[in-house]
This record gives sequence, structure tokens and C-alpha cells, in this order.
Amino acid sequence: MLKLASISLAALIAVTGVAAAQALEDRVTIVTSFSRDVTTPFVDAFQKKYPGTKVEIQNRSTTAGVAFIRETRSNPPDMMWASAPDAFEVLKKGNLLQKYEPKSEGVAPKVGSSPTHDPQGFYFGFAASGYGIMYNTRYLRANNIPAPKEWDDLKKPIYFGHVGISAPSRSGTTHLTVETILQGEGWDKGWASMLEIGGNFASVSDRSFGVPDAVNSGQYGVGIVIDFFGLSAKASGFPVEFVYPTVTTIVPANIGIVAGAKNQRAAQAFVDFLLSEDGQAVLLDPKIQRLPVRPASYAKAPAGYPNPFTDPNLGRRVVFDGDLSEGRYELVNSLYDRIVTFRLKELTEAWKSIHAADAAVAKSNSAEGKRLLAEARKLASAVPITEKEASDPAIAGAFQEKRPDRPVAARQAEFEERWDAFARQNYAQAKTLADNAARAR
Amino acid sequence: MSAPGVEIDRVSFGYGSTKILDDVSLRVEKGEFFAFLGPSGSGKTTLLRLVAGFGVPNAGAVRVNGRDVTDVPPWKRNVGMVFQSYALWPHMTVAKNVAFGLERRDVPKAEIGKRVAAALDLVGLGAYGERRPAQLSGGQQQRVAVARTLVIEPDVLLLDEPLSNLDAKLRVEMRQEIRELQRKLGLTTIYVTHDQEEANAIADRIAVLDGGRIQQLGAPMDLYDRPANRFVAAFLGTANLIEGDLAADGNFRADRFALSGLTVPKPGKACVSFRPHDVTLSAEGRNLAGTIQHREFLGGNIRYVVTVGPHRVTVDTVHRRDSQVYDVGASVGLSIDASQASVLY
Amino acid sequence: MTLPAPRRVGLLARWETTPFHLICAGTVAAFLVAFLIVPVATVVFVAFWDGQSLTLVHFADFFRTSLMIEATWNSIYVALMAVIVATIIAVPLAYFTVRFRFKGAALIQTLGVIPLVMPPFVGAVAMQLVYGRNGSVNLLLMDWFGFRLPFMEGLNGVIFVQGLHYFPFILLNLSASLANIDSAMEESAQNLGASGWTLFSKIVFPLAMPGYIAGAALVFAKVFDDLATPLLLNVNNMLAPQAYLRITSVGLADPMGYVISTILVVLSVVAVWLSLLSLKNRDFATTQRGGGGLSKRELRTWEKFGAYAFIAVALILALSPHFGILMLSLATVWSFSVIPDAFTFAHYITVFRDAGGMMANTVLYCGVAALIDVVLGTMIAYLVLRTKLPFRQLIDQIAMAAVAVPGLVLGIGILRVYFDVKLPFSGESLATFWVMLAIAYAVRRLPYALRSCTAALQQLHRSLEEAAECLGGDKSVVMRKIVVPLMAGGILAGFVTSFATAAVELASTLLLVTRDASAPLSYGIYVYMQSAAGRGPGAALGVIAVVVVAIATWAAYRVAENDRARRAREGVAA
Repeated sequence: MLKLASISLAALIAVTGVAAAQALEDRVTIVTSFSRDVTTPFVDAFQKKYPGTKVEIQNRSTTAGVAFIRETRSNPPDMMWASAPDAFEVLKKGNLLQKYEPKSEGVAPKVGSSPTHDPQGFYFGFAASGYGIMYNTRYLRANNIPAPKEWDDLKKPIYFGHVGISAPSRSGTTHLTVETILQGEGWDKGWASMLEIGGNFASVSDRSFGVPDAVNSGQYGVGIVIDFFGLSAKASGFPVEFVYPTVTTIVPANIGIVAGAKNQRAAQAFVDFLLSEDGQAVLLDPKIQRLPVRPASYAKAPAGYPNPFTDPNLGRRVVFDGDLSEGRYELVNSLYDRIVTFRLKELTEAWKSIHAADAAVAKSNSAEGKRLLAEARKLASAVPITEKEASDPAIAGAFQEKRPDRPVAARQAEFEERWDAFARQNYAQAKTLADNAARAR
Repeated sequence: MSAPGVEIDRVSFGYGSTKILDDVSLRVEKGEFFAFLGPSGSGKTTLLRLVAGFGVPNAGAVRVNGRDVTDVPPWKRNVGMVFQSYALWPHMTVAKNVAFGLERRDVPKAEIGKRVAAALDLVGLGAYGERRPAQLSGGQQQRVAVARTLVIEPDVLLLDEPLSNLDAKLRVEMRQEIRELQRKLGLTTIYVTHDQEEANAIADRIAVLDGGRIQQLGAPMDLYDRPANRFVAAFLGTANLIEGDLAADGNFRADRFALSGLTVPKPGKACVSFRPHDVTLSAEGRNLAGTIQHREFLGGNIRYVVTVGPHRVTVDTVHRRDSQVYDVGASVGLSIDASQASVLY
Repeated sequence: MTLPAPRRVGLLARWETTPFHLICAGTVAAFLVAFLIVPVATVVFVAFWDGQSLTLVHFADFFRTSLMIEATWNSIYVALMAVIVATIIAVPLAYFTVRFRFKGAALIQTLGVIPLVMPPFVGAVAMQLVYGRNGSVNLLLMDWFGFRLPFMEGLNGVIFVQGLHYFPFILLNLSASLANIDSAMEESAQNLGASGWTLFSKIVFPLAMPGYIAGAALVFAKVFDDLATPLLLNVNNMLAPQAYLRITSVGLADPMGYVISTILVVLSVVAVWLSLLSLKNRDFATTQRGGGGLSKRELRTWEKFGAYAFIAVALILALSPHFGILMLSLATVWSFSVIPDAFTFAHYITVFRDAGGMMANTVLYCGVAALIDVVLGTMIAYLVLRTKLPFRQLIDQIAMAAVAVPGLVLGIGILRVYFDVKLPFSGESLATFWVMLAIAYAVRRLPYALRSCTAALQQLHRSLEEAAECLGGDKSVVMRKIVVPLMAGGILAGFVTSFATAAVELASTLLLVTRDASAPLSYGIYVYMQSAAGRGPGAALGVIAVVVVAIATWAAYRVAENDRARRAREGVAA
């Protein structure tokens, strides 16, 4: 009844043309993958500012959120609020978002090397995050392992079995890290680095949260995670630390208004609020710990809070090519799964042998050993396709939604089978070579 | 003298305050066919189960062939039991059912086959080994149950109302078969039934139970002819029981009822018991006058219920084509053969 | 002399079917079509579509992909081994409860269900905390003896966790089955010289086969189709996680995910069908006297000691994740240590605000779902075992197939089919109406209830129904007054498993819940577990979920027990 009354009241105001823009709808529904820790402070602050509007949060995983918005076109929720930029790209391509130009004075146009908002105006960055390394100090002390600082540290044999990551196909932010490394170091060298680090993995998690969970509880000691996982865990008292390596990227976490949203004005007000001074201040909450996109907001941050606008190292090294990334997005994910995630056992066994052979050859100083070892390393860090092939629409297209105008060279399953065979064969051979190298005199 | 096949020695059994068996003792001789007879709730099945080992008496002992088995579990007693429901295992074939006990006794495989076949032949089911129990008729299931028990050559064969699920004609056939089998094998056997005709027909001796106690123990004819108490007199066949006073001269007197020529164990208050066929009816009453209350034609007999004063007397007369038939309401005279009557207290 | 003309036998008579049966069949079929077949078909369609036309090429790809073949064998291996582990735990526990008169029986019956009530996210987290590489147990082993045991590594880890998680399926169904065996069946075997193990393995266990097979088939199908455990142990080379990974990758329209789903469904149905085949042509109706159960006896001292020792070990293993989440819910920081650094009630205070409504919602939704399941399960079991209706096996198989339908697929399907159907008056979408959530739960758990009901009916001798029919009861009366009461044990087992597992269903919940006010506990657990700042509040809700389900289970047993006691009393009086 109340709802009906207020709607008719709004209609009345609209008809009489009196300040229609100021009257927000009495509710706004937001689909989000963020936890209560993140959403509640924002919702409370927003409702305080607009007492007439109730924010309804619908918690869904990113996947379920995207599926929900896609299936409920006739009466969708008002907003989508999540980290992964790829989810917003999917929504945008599906015409499931609507344009808006938020009030964003004081918001930096770029964070790191990427624009804060979607250039076409379909979704908006409200906080920045970067990828880095999170480690459990108790664990490292107990196992006598030094604290890592750079990606390359994670290649060292001492980290064997102590590192974890979430699969890029499962986590938009891990994908960005992989893509950042590929763009920063180059395709072949990038994959070689990732395979060598992969040789030290304890596991590849299927959930982004699996990694901070495991590091927090000490299942393994080192995790490759997005910054706020590490920072908020530390702020909550866990014995963990977080570092940004030199090669990292800073990307915005986003919010967008769903096409056909019923509560337009409230949704727009929510976006504006997130970008306002008050909204940005909430990001510094110890349980949230994300980087504001208003440089001015850092004034209130505690000492040592990472600031991408003043720290020259943070996310500036890599110039991120968004088009390149987008063209091979699905392919890179699938490739990573084929040669790392699903063949982790084979990969780690190969690298274990290589590490052992390293030590043995250093002692024996055998030329034959060195030759075999070099060959083994090459095999264990090889990637089945070239950079050019990866961006070829005839190949990359096989991993995307089928379109009659985009013929492909083979089906996804066929590529995947080839890569799988490639990885299995290489890793097995690398292990044999390394074992032989260790015995070579 | 060798030890009895089964000896039940002052056995009591019950749960909490309910007594199911109260100080029961009896001996079953080797090779004897013995029956426990009683109404339901008399404790006869419980007593049988104690012999099989299902339950331990609160007091007393059970001995089989002189061996005290009171605390021996059922599977170590070598006492075969045929269950009222047959309890054939539906998941096994007939042959597997029969072989089960032999396998438990580690009989060599080849011999098991032979003995199972022999046991099934014995009960006339030689061709049915591969069937499942559900595919057999009630009578056939019963034979399988018997064969399954006999094949282990038990020290004692226990049968718990084995014929109660069969039709009347089959029941008579089966009880003869069982008796013949038992005689052939010389097995000590205890048979539980509530059917006195069945017990009489089959057993060498009977223990009549009621209320958890043995009421009388003896050969069927003895029990019939000389019941020890009112319960036994009434439970075995039909008895006319009349309460009154017995004088030392053998004259019994009750309200409008009298009988003389009785043997007198002890004068005073007593109950006289006589069977329906020991009464003769005549058109003219000499010593006792009565009125026909009810008449049933049973084929070979006609059964009358005659009121004599306050008493109802059941009378059986042999029926022949030319014999006299009395109508309901007719006045008749009764004469009772005192030599066949029993005096109970 | 002329013979009378042969009577024309109507279709219904030939099918041994009455109008009542037809109504049942219609209800079941309508439910399955509306809430299982149509929604799933709209989603799985992709597996058969190459962009322009129908195709089977994706299935050919499946069999050409070595990873898929490997995954298939791994899944079969893990499922079989999990059945073995579950059997080793469940069979002795079931036997103790029906054989012996001792206090542990109630303990087993109540605690035995608890392992099922473990929200997948929380369960594996807790298992990691207890048995993981650096979980409490391994840290202690490392401290004391200097070695670790790989409880949670690879396929063996999955088998270990699944066996512990799903043994209640066997426990519940086998207990119900054992309780239906006529005591004479066992006594006759004892009389012929069998005791102990022989008696159990040759007579008692085979007679309880319908219950065991029902439970084992469920364990197999459930493990075969379960994705949460392998995912959380980071084991990817099995079918269910492969399907999940492909279906849920954002924006991917990879047909292989749906191909795997279809293959999962088919293989699950085949497994259940094979298990039923093994029971075919056998008579398990042992209740010649209408039940009674095995004779119970007191345990001797040393036996009691042994039994309690086994129960203790089994329950400690099975309940260790619960112990883990209890600690987690009370912990401030728990990191690389045997027990948490300190304890606090703060997490319970955090979740207290939401917990009340969520508890009520969980009980309501899951209660409705479990009710739907046992009603449909009884109907289907009855149609399959007691009529010759054509397609009755198909109904059974379709209902069983639900065990392999991923919750996400069903959720998307339901949204797709029912979102635009508006409820009268409120105008709310049917798809997001709470009843739909209960229905989604019911669909996915129907197989549990169905197997329990089928096993119960298999043991029920037909003469008991015929007796009632002779006395003038028509089919529906016989069903209500005779069949259902006598199947009560199996129906209850089905109800409890449906209820308990629905309480922690996540995938479809996440899609179909639209408001906090209508959210069940599983939603809250998910929301609170997604915090890097600590999983305490999520664990606290998990503990609450376990307690709610435990109370509901206990209450269900009490109701059933009182009912049985009442009927027993009336029986004696009559």
C-alpha cells in the first residue's frame, strides 16, 4: 500500500513537473558478489543520506549474478556490483547494461594504466585493486622460507609446494594478472614464467576465495591474490602480509546499471554516492581495504596504505592493451587450464625433477647434464601456440559464442585435446630428461 | 539308563514381574515324540524356544542328551527347529536353504550336495532344489523347512505349530508324514500345538501347559481318560464338568443332578467329569431328567445339549439310519456310565 | 455346448491400474515435466546445437578428449571407492542400532544424519582445517612424529571426504531395511548353526539388500555427481567438476559443459538401473508377520566396549568437520595452528541479526521440499512395484536422473521458464516465489526419497495390502491406511535425507533467492563465507544450520517413534 502510494505520488510529481529528478524511488536492488563486510557499510551510509530509499542487496556469485540478470530481462534487478571487469564486458555485450554519466568530479580518469570507467559509459570503476603476493608469516617461519617480493621469487625451488593461485578461468582478477604477465614479459617468456611458478604450486583453486582461505589458515604459505584479500585479512588479525610485485596491474572494481532497471534514479544516485567523497571514504574501512579512485580520499588513509596515484611502482610499469586482452580472453583461460590447472600433477613432478637435477648438476658439473637439463626446462616451459595464433579469430573464435559470421578452424574441444596432449607429453619428457640429467656424470 | 533326550529342570522364565514359565520340569526320552499342548499364551512356544536357545531361563536348566545347554547359544546346540512361519530365506534357492546348516558344519561340498538331495527326496521335493521359496506352495514350503532342519541330523527336532498355516486336509497328511519320518529317523521330537486332536494323533506323550505351568503330563489316552484337573479335562476333548458333593459311598449329588457308583478318592466337595459319549439318552428318564436344548448333526454322531436343572450336559449319540432322533424341546432321560467318569477337585 | 465368450479385459485391468493410480501417475508426470524436464532441456539444449542445427559432434568430441576419458574413469573409481568406505562405516553402525539394546543406538540414529548437513563450502574448509596438509591432525603428527598423512590429497582425499560425508545414505536405508526383517529368519539360521559373521553375511545382510542397495546407489550417484568436494580439494580431473567449471565460467557458451552434464545424468541413471537389476526377480518381502525386526539383545561388556569404540572412531571421523566449523565459528584467528589463537562469540552476534528469519525459511522450504519428495517418492515406488502401467520404469528413471542435474542448470532453467509467469495478486514472478525454491530443492532430492520409499515397499508383502482390499479398502484407502504406515520407516529416512541435504543446497539457492527476507541459511552461509576478513560468521551460520537440521531430524524421529509406540499400544489393546 505504502509502495503504491509513493509510486502514485512520484507520478503526480512527475506530471506536475515539480522537481521530478529529486524524488528517488523507495528501493533499489543490487546484485553483487561482494560480501556483507563490503556492502553493509555502503548501504548504511547511502540509506542515511537517502532515508526514503531502501537498498536491497542480492548476494550471488559473479556467474550466478550474470545468469540471473540474463534470465530476468523482463523485470531485472537495478544494478550489478562486482570486481571482475570481464563480467561487465559480458553484460555490456549482451545489451544488459545501460549508459549513465555519473557525477565524478575529483575521480581520477585513470587508475594504473586503465581508464577508471568504461569508455562507453556502461559501467564505472568505484575502487581500484591490484594483484600481488600474500603470505602467511607463521607458515614461512615454520618452514624456514624467505618472504617473496617478486613473481620471479616464486620460481625458486624453496617455494616448491608452497604456492597457490586461483584459475584465471574462475577469477577475473587472476586472469588480469596472467594477462599482465603475458603483456609485461611477452607471450613466450610470460608463459615460461607462469609454468615455472606453476611448478611450485600446491594447488590451483577454483574459487578466488580459495587462495586467501588457504593462506589464512596456513594450508599453504604463499598465495597470488588481489590486494584487498591480503590487506583485509591482515587488518582482521591474521598473520599474513601482502606485497605488490613490480609487474602488476591496477584495475577498477565496478558497478553498472542494468538495462530496463525499474528504479533508475535511485540506481544513479547509488553510483554517484559510491564515487562521492563520502562513498570513497568507506573504502578505507579495515574490512574493505580497497583503493579509492579519488586521489583526495587518500588523505584520510592510515600510513602505509597503498596509493596508486603517488606510488610510481604501483601498476605503472605495464601498459595494458585492453583490445589484445579481450581478443584472446577465453583462449588464454582455456589454455591455462589445459597446461596448468588440469595437468598440475604432471607439471609439478616435472619441475620437482628439474629442481633436483639443478642441484645435482651444480655438483657434478656434467656437460651432458647441463644439456639435458636445458632441454628439460625448455619442454617444461613451452606453450603450444604462438602469440599470433592466439589472437587469430579463426582460433580464438572457437572459444567464444558461435556466430555464423565467424568461421573457426576447429572446435574448442579439438584445440583443447591437442594442448592437453602437448602438455602431458612435454612434462613427462621433461621429467625423464631431468632425471637423466641428475644421473649424468 | 541313558540320559533323556531333553530334560527341562525347574525352569522359570519371564520379563520383569510377568512370569511366562513357572517352575517347569519335564523329561523327553530319546526317540520320543513329545507334544507341548496349550492355548495361546500358555507358555508352550516360549518353552520350546528355551530348548532351542532363544532366551535364557531365569532359573533352572535345560539339558539335551544329558549335556547342560542352558547357557549355550542356539548355534552351538545342534537342536533343529521348524518355525511356524517356516522362515525360509527368500534370497536363497530351496537347495541353498537346505544346504545352509551343513555348510555351517563344514561338511565337504560333495557330501552337502548328496545330503541336500537326500533330504529333499525324503520330503518329496527332489525336483525343486533350484526354485525359490516364493515359487512354492504352503505345503511345499513346509516340507522345505522340515528338510532344512532334518538335514543337519539334529539331536532334537523342535516343531513350532508347523501345520497351522496349512489347510485341514493337508494338515492331516503332513502330520502323518512327519510322524513317519520321525519314527524312521528315531529323532527325539518336541511338537508345539494348540490343537488337541493334532497332539493326540501324533505324540507319544503330551505336556499340557496353561498359565506357564504344566497341568498334566502323560500319554494322550491317559490324559483323555484320566484328566488331572478341570483344565485338562476341558481342553482335551469335550468334557461335562459338574460341581457338587461326593459321599464316601460313591454317590455324587448336585443341584437336581446325581450320579452313583463313582470311585471315591476323597469325599467332600468335588467336580465330576464325563465325556459326551458316556451318556445315553432315552425317551423315559430313569435317574436323570432333562430337556433337549440344541442339536447338531455331525455325520457319524449327533451332538445334543441337554439341560438338567441348572446344568448343561453335552451328549454324543452314534448316528445310524434307524436310530432315534430327539427334537429340541423334547424331554429325555440321561444315564451316565459312572465307570468312565472322573472325579476332580 | 458353447463356451462363454471371453471377457474383454480393459486396459486399466491389464495394467493392474485403477483411476487412483492414474491420478498418481499424472501428478508425478506433470511435476517431472514441469520442474525437471522442461527447465533442464531448455539449458542442456546447447549440448546438441552447433549454431545452426542439431548435432552429436560435441559428444564425439567428449569421447575423443583424453582428459574427459580420464575424468570419467576417475569419477567411476572415486564413486566406487567412496561406496566401499561408506559401507565400512555404515554397515556396522546400522547393525548395532537394530541388533543391540543399548544407548548408543539413539546416538547413532541422530548423529548419523549430521554428516549430510554440511554446507559444501564450510565442510571442505573445515575438513582442510582438521585433516588438511597443515590441518590440526597433520600439525600434531608433524610435531610428535615428524610426518604427515595425505588425507586430503588427490582422488584419495575425495574418497575420504565423500565416504565420510555420504555414509548416512547407507546407514539410514539399511537400518530401515534391517528393522523390517522377520526375527524368525534370523533365528532359523542360528538354529542351524550360524552366528556372528556368518549369520550376518549369509542371512541378515542379504535380506536387507534392498535397503543397502538403495543407499549404495545413492552414495554412488551422489559422489559421482558431486562437485563441491573435488572442487574444494582442487581435484579437477573428474566429470562433475569439469562440467561445473565449464558451465560456470563467465560468459562462456562452451557446449562441453552441457555434454558432460548429459553424460553424468545418463551414467547416474545407468548405475541406479544396474543396482535395481541386481535386485530383480528376487523376493525380499520378509515381513510375513508384518515386521517385528531382529531380536535385540543386551551387549556383553567387552562387546559394548568394542561397539562404543567403533562408534566413537566413526563418529569422530564423520563429525570432525562439524567440530572444525564449531571451532572456526568461535575462533578469532586460526592460522597454521592446532587450535585457534583465541575464542570469541563475536561471530554469532554478527549473524544473529539475520539468523532467525533464515532458520524459519530453511525449515519451511526444506520441510515443504522433503514433503513433496516423500509424497512423490511413495507414489512412484507404488506405481513401479504394484502396477503394470506402461512407462512406469521411465518415470522412475527420470526422477532418478535428477540426482545428476547440477543445481545451477536447474536454477537457470527454472528462471528461463517461469520468470515471466506472474503470481496473481502480488505480481511477483513465479520463479522467485519461495515455493519455487522449495520445488527446486525437491526436484534435486527426489532421488533420495524415491530410493528409500522403493526399498521400503519392496520389503512389504503384498498380502498385507490385499487383506485390506478384501476388507473393502479401495486403492487410495489402502495406500493411506496400510501402505504408508507400514512404509513409515523408509519414508522417514527419505524425508530426513531430503530435508537435511536441502538445507545446505547452494547453487539453485543463489539463483532463486531475491531478497534477504526470503533467504534460507545456505544463502547466509555463502554470503558470510565470502569474506577474506575471516570465515567466522559463515561458520557460525553453518553451526546454526547443523543444529537446526539436527533438531528437525530428532523431532522427525520422535514423531515416528511416538507413532510407532502408539500403534504398538493399540495393537496390544486390540
